[in-house]
Amino acid sequence: MKFKIKSWNSVAIWKWLANDDKCGICRAPFDGCCSDCKIPGDDCPLVWGVCSHCFHMHCIMKWLAAQQNQICPMCRQDWALKSDLP
Amino acid sequence: MATTQITSSITKTPAEKNQIVFEEQWPKMQPTIVKLLRQEAVNRSEWHDLFYSVHQVCLWDEKAASKIYKALQENITEFIGQAQLRVLAHAEDQALLKAYITEWRKFFEQCGYLPKPFIQVELSLNNHTTSSSSTMPKKHKNDDSDVRKLMLDSWNNQIFSNIKQRLQSSAMKLVRAERNGEAFDSQLVIGVRESYVNLCSDPDDKLKIYRENFEKAYIEATESFYRLKSLEELNQNGVQNYMKYAHTKLKEEEVRAKKYLETTISIQALMDSTVNVLVTLYKDQILCEAPGMIKRNETDKLQLMYKLMDRVPDGIQSLLSDLEDHIINAGLEDMKINALTITQDSEKYIERLLELFRRFSLLVKTAFLDDPRFLTSRDKAYKIIVNDTCIFKLELPVKPGVIKTTPESRCPELLANYCDLLLRKTPLSKRLTSDEIEARLKDVLLVLKYVQNKDVFMRYHKAHLTRRLILDASADSEKEENMVEWLREVGMPADYVNKLGRMFQDVKVSEDLNLQFKEQYRLTKGAVADSINIKILNAGAWARGSERINVSLPLELEDYIPEVEEFYRRKHNGRKLQWYHHMANGTITFSNSVGKFDLDVTTFQMAVLFAWNHRPNEKISYENLKLASELPDPELRKTLWSLVAFPKVKRQLLLYTPEVQSPKDFQEDTHFWVNQEFTVIKNNKVQRRGKISLIGRLQLSTERSREEDNEGIVQLRILRVQEAIIKILKMRKRISNLQLHNELIDILKNMFLPSKKMIKEQIEWLMENKYMRRDDKDINIFVYMA
Repeated sequence: MKFKIKSWNSVAIWKWLANDDKCGICRAPFDGCCSDCKIPGDDCPLVWGVCSHCFHMHCIMKWLAAQQNQICPMCRQDWALKSDLP
Repeated sequence: MATTQITSSITKTPAEKNQIVFEEQWPKMQPTIVKLLRQEAVNRSEWHDLFYSVHQVCLWDEKAASKIYKALQENITEFIGQAQLRVLAHAEDQALLKAYITEWRKFFEQCGYLPKPFIQVELSLNNHTTSSSSTMPKKHKNDDSDVRKLMLDSWNNQIFSNIKQRLQSSAMKLVRAERNGEAFDSQLVIGVRESYVNLCSDPDDKLKIYRENFEKAYIEATESFYRLKSLEELNQNGVQNYMKYAHTKLKEEEVRAKKYLETTISIQALMDSTVNVLVTLYKDQILCEAPGMIKRNETDKLQLMYKLMDRVPDGIQSLLSDLEDHIINAGLEDMKINALTITQDSEKYIERLLELFRRFSLLVKTAFLDDPRFLTSRDKAYKIIVNDTCIFKLELPVKPGVIKTTPESRCPELLANYCDLLLRKTPLSKRLTSDEIEARLKDVLLVLKYVQNKDVFMRYHKAHLTRRLILDASADSEKEENMVEWLREVGMPADYVNKLGRMFQDVKVSEDLNLQFKEQYRLTKGAVADSINIKILNAGAWARGSERINVSLPLELEDYIPEVEEFYRRKHNGRKLQWYHHMANGTITFSNSVGKFDLDVTTFQMAVLFAWNHRPNEKISYENLKLASELPDPELRKTLWSLVAFPKVKRQLLLYTPEVQSPKDFQEDTHFWVNQEFTVIKNNKVQRRGKISLIGRLQLSTERSREEDNEGIVQLRILRVQEAIIKILKMRKRISNLQLHNELIDILKNMFLPSKKMIKEQIEWLMENKYMRRDDKDINIFVYMA
């Protein structure tokens, strides 16, 4: 008499796990994308620095390319990609 | 000067002793000239002698040229005088014409020969009169020769100007007789025309005599003939027969004109005046028949009318508006008559719309030969039908205080529904062949072209696509992707189409992920892995409203949630998952005294049904179900309703008491229990086994966010209007109000038609916020402020 599960199709949406809701460079939300992209998601990923600040990858690349010193625009510490994420 | 030199060089010739003078030579020349004029035989030596004599005389005698010319003139005059007598001997018109034409043709032929021997005369004459330095005046072509001119002028003065009235009127009488159906020798009229054409010796305007006499008379005669006839015809036989008459006559006259008139300009002039007498004069009378004919679909008559009116300046204008009126009236009436069926059934509605389109297109094709002007009218009118709001209205709700919108047609929504029926696995899509489905999708695109608010279509189309992808319910994935391309081709905005494309891509990414997950899960949990699927989607392409609905999942599912989260965390660092349980679904098995069934259900339905797993035969109150499922009130009501009153199911899965009319009437103590008699009924037979889907239309959002959705349409429109205004201003810097409106509509037309009010409000908002301002001098000009 019991109901039994034969199969289940689950649905989930993924979001960025950022410690802020906006990118400090372009000021656009992390749920959205950087100013050069049209669709958020895999095509416009986020990256984290060792200083734990997080940006759109495209934004920080552009920023670093324009700077002489490779420093984080938020805390002025040396910029390096963090490898082990939260 | 030239003559003296020639004279001295010629002194050594044998004839030097006898001075050759005109008076001596003329008697030798004259008989040949007369023979030539009369077209009598002239032998070679006579012909040569004439050349020789003329040449000699002109060399020796300075005055000879003018003397010869004068003598020639006398001879010609005399000859023409005789010809005139011969012509005028005939009193009867036709005989006169015939005689004239015979004489004229003979004479005209001789105009080609007679001037030849007198070239020397002409040379001398020209040297005297013009004394120009050019020794070879260009006039030497036979056509322009002085002698020829003399001949033609003489003919003109002596015969032609005397009898041209008679000739003309006789010719016109003949034409008239022909119009009345009598046969006669058309060569007579043609002959007369030729004499008019060839008589003119004015080199600048060779057709002068012809035009001023023959053409004019011909046109006048035609006009007066039809002026009487047409009125008679119209009064006797009525407008419809008259149209046939006019049409035939116009054709006849065109053929006749080609025969009797000289140039295309001339023919055109005649046709213009004939059209005027036959059609333009009765334009209003003819046109007032049009609405009735269109209504009765009398395409043959309409085609006739169209052909007639197309010749008249501004003739088809009123036909165009008659057609538009008809399409709008007939179309809307048809919709209203069928309102009951088509509001229920998007398939019928779209088919009705297409039927109308085909009907009107056929009308334009058969009656108006697909004339582009009529096609434009059809489009204009059809657009009105498609966007009409009499039958269905889509009320876009708005927050109080924000802009009120005018109701819109539900056409785009129904169009999207129809599209879904074709692309989803449905009885319709199963019944049709692949080609038929493709043809119908193209029909959808055809109607979509006329839809004003394409953004509504896009929104619904995307929602349906989301459902199809999540439920794996597409009938044909190739067609799905074709459809995206077709939408791009018909001009849907690129970012919208791209988003659809992204959804397909995303589903593929998610499928790979699903396989990887299953592989891993199988290692730890075994076969159960096969029953679990995950769809992990990109928020950018799919997300709608961020509201999270609480639900208590069946235990076996609850356990598996962290497994997925852990799996995903390891795959993608820095991402988190948000569960969309309202979209999730599955299959459950259920057995009772009747048999065993597979049920496709939503996760919410699952959560409710599993409440009975602990107490299969109990009646459970609404209140307790709420506690068990943890669903919010509106969702629980809707889910329960789908289990107690699922459309088309004869025996519902759940039973309840007391009976209510709608889900909002469930009380806290309404009791529900599992129907032990539940079964699937096929062809009126109870089945012991079977599969049934209770999912219905998969919920994409919660009740509350649905309202947000429709508000979203309005909100998005506002943003689009602002964005477009700024875009235009950035480019133009300064722009007038009118031009701004036009460009705005042009930019937005592939999404929606912005109302004047909305544009005005957004302009005001942009001015308030200093994006733009009015020009100081002209308040109708806007200026961009950077």
